[in-house]
Amino acid sequence: MTETTSQSSIRARLNGDTVRNVLLHAFLYGLAVLMAVPYLYTLSRSFQPTELLRDPRPYWIPPLAGEPITLEHYQYLLNNTLVVEWTINTFIIAAGATLLIVVIDSMVAFSLTRLDWPGQGLVMGVILASFMVPYYMNIVPLYQIVSDLGLINSYWGVILPAVASPLGVFLLYQFFKDIPVEYEEAARLDGFTTFQVYTRIILPLAKPILSALALFMFVYNWNAFLWPLLVLSNETAYTLPIGLVNLYQGNIDTPGLHMAVAILGSLPLFIIYLIFQGQIVRAVQMQGATG
Amino acid sequence: MGITERIMGGENATNSKTVMGLRKETIEGVLWSIPYLAVFTVFLIWPALKGLYMSFHTYPNKFDLTQTEWVGLQNYVELFRDPVFYNAMEGTLLFVAISVPALVILGLIMALGVNRDVAGKRTLRAIYFSPYVLTVAVVTLVWGQMYSQSYGLINYYLGFFIDNPPGWLTSPDLVMAALAFMTVWWLVGFNFVIFLAARQSIPERLYEAARLDGATGWRAFKDITLPQMRNSVVFVVMVQFILQFQVFAQPYVMTQGGPKDTSDTLVYYLYRSAFSQQQFGYGAAMGYVLVAILIIIAIVNFKVIGDSND
Repeated sequence: MTETTSQSSIRARLNGDTVRNVLLHAFLYGLAVLMAVPYLYTLSRSFQPTELLRDPRPYWIPPLAGEPITLEHYQYLLNNTLVVEWTINTFIIAAGATLLIVVIDSMVAFSLTRLDWPGQGLVMGVILASFMVPYYMNIVPLYQIVSDLGLINSYWGVILPAVASPLGVFLLYQFFKDIPVEYEEAARLDGFTTFQVYTRIILPLAKPILSALALFMFVYNWNAFLWPLLVLSNETAYTLPIGLVNLYQGNIDTPGLHMAVAILGSLPLFIIYLIFQGQIVRAVQMQGATG
Repeated sequence: MGITERIMGGENATNSKTVMGLRKETIEGVLWSIPYLAVFTVFLIWPALKGLYMSFHTYPNKFDLTQTEWVGLQNYVELFRDPVFYNAMEGTLLFVAISVPALVILGLIMALGVNRDVAGKRTLRAIYFSPYVLTVAVVTLVWGQMYSQSYGLINYYLGFFIDNPPGWLTSPDLVMAALAFMTVWWLVGFNFVIFLAARQSIPERLYEAARLDGATGWRAFKDITLPQMRNSVVFVVMVQFILQFQVFAQPYVMTQGGPKDTSDTLVYYLYRSAFSQQQFGYGAAMGYVLVAILIIIAIVNFKVIGDSND
């Protein structure tokens, strides 16, 4: 009697676990499918002719009648808009900002953690405090400064304010200060100069964090919106996000075009994301871990 | 910590040479810092100070910004009497009130789910995080069509369940919720990966010990998971408050603040004041008020969620 009850209770628990497990998977994968719907929707609509797009019914699978698939939106973008130039501009700005950030942020973080000089505590304090300055608070005076420097409609006008961000300094500071001082002392005894300590000891050790930071900054600056919108008023100078929105506002009635430009505008970063997903995610997790 | 240790640690034998009375290491330290500090000073510190100056002035000639007129606190006084400012504040607070809890709670649920014994963790993580790498321009273009009343995907499927589904971006009651919902899709992956890392760093033995005491499920979540993840929760809540408070592109692209100004926000109003109406002093004053509000929010956040579990 007792034997059977305990057996059935084990079975009930097993079933309970199985049910719970199935529900968990259903929830997580259901959510993943829902989150992916906008991608499939955008992709499929970017290839559909305008008549189909005006139909309230979404066509996940194009109907067989007529000409269900068209490249017209993509052709229009490549022939009649500056989308290629915008991509190049975006690449130059994002890559330039990233390169500068990695180089000068690692230099200052190196100086603040591995060299000893008076006032460095104060400098780090000011950099830390600047985290409290919300980005948008500065846009009015920053615009005047960038304009006074003659940097409106130039790459530098977008790049330099992006490079001023303290995030990279902060992350690298956290990492550099935990590198054991013994490595460095041994190298100094071998006659390493400061430059050699930086390039041959600190940088190689920091490679994983530097590449994560670089990828994150590349993504971040590729996607930046408000600041490029202010600085780049000339159509040939636009970055992709600005060009996209401008195209949208100028052609409000062409849904296929919006979808095609959304695809073209996100494709480069999506490829980078698929390849370097791990590093981009790690850069976000580092921010969380130091917070 | 690093700094004090180094200062306490004293001089390094190799650095005792001096050049013109300055230690070599001091000169090197300053030289290595200068590139960043120059950019930091010109493009971050200087604008913050200049903004304060601008907020006490008006610019009567919008084409010649060297002409300034001292007006004292007038910009601030006007701001606090400005109904558009209060309306934008209301819109911003509504957006924050919807988006931040959803971003935090959904991110936490996703992280705790993926942390369990699930097949295909990497695929799930890749999908959940992916919208974060999109630019807000793409997000608004795509969701603009999904929300469309005439051919939008959402209302087509809702039409099977309810008659006359509402126009999400044209209804004064729903527009902020619609913008917030879209924003959650876009940004929840950021919180998700931070929570996932925090959950994975909790030692499993804590749960084993709790299990021996009969604490599982909700009790384990309340007594182990939440306290152990407290730092990351505080961080995520703060970051999202600050980010969502500065919402701009969503109303700028999708609604221009409408319908009936119900989706206006503070940064969007700041943008219009300074860059459409050329009221630079007014815009700069609004920037400073924005910072004051954010600092108050940060302090309240720390008081409410920072200390609660001690």
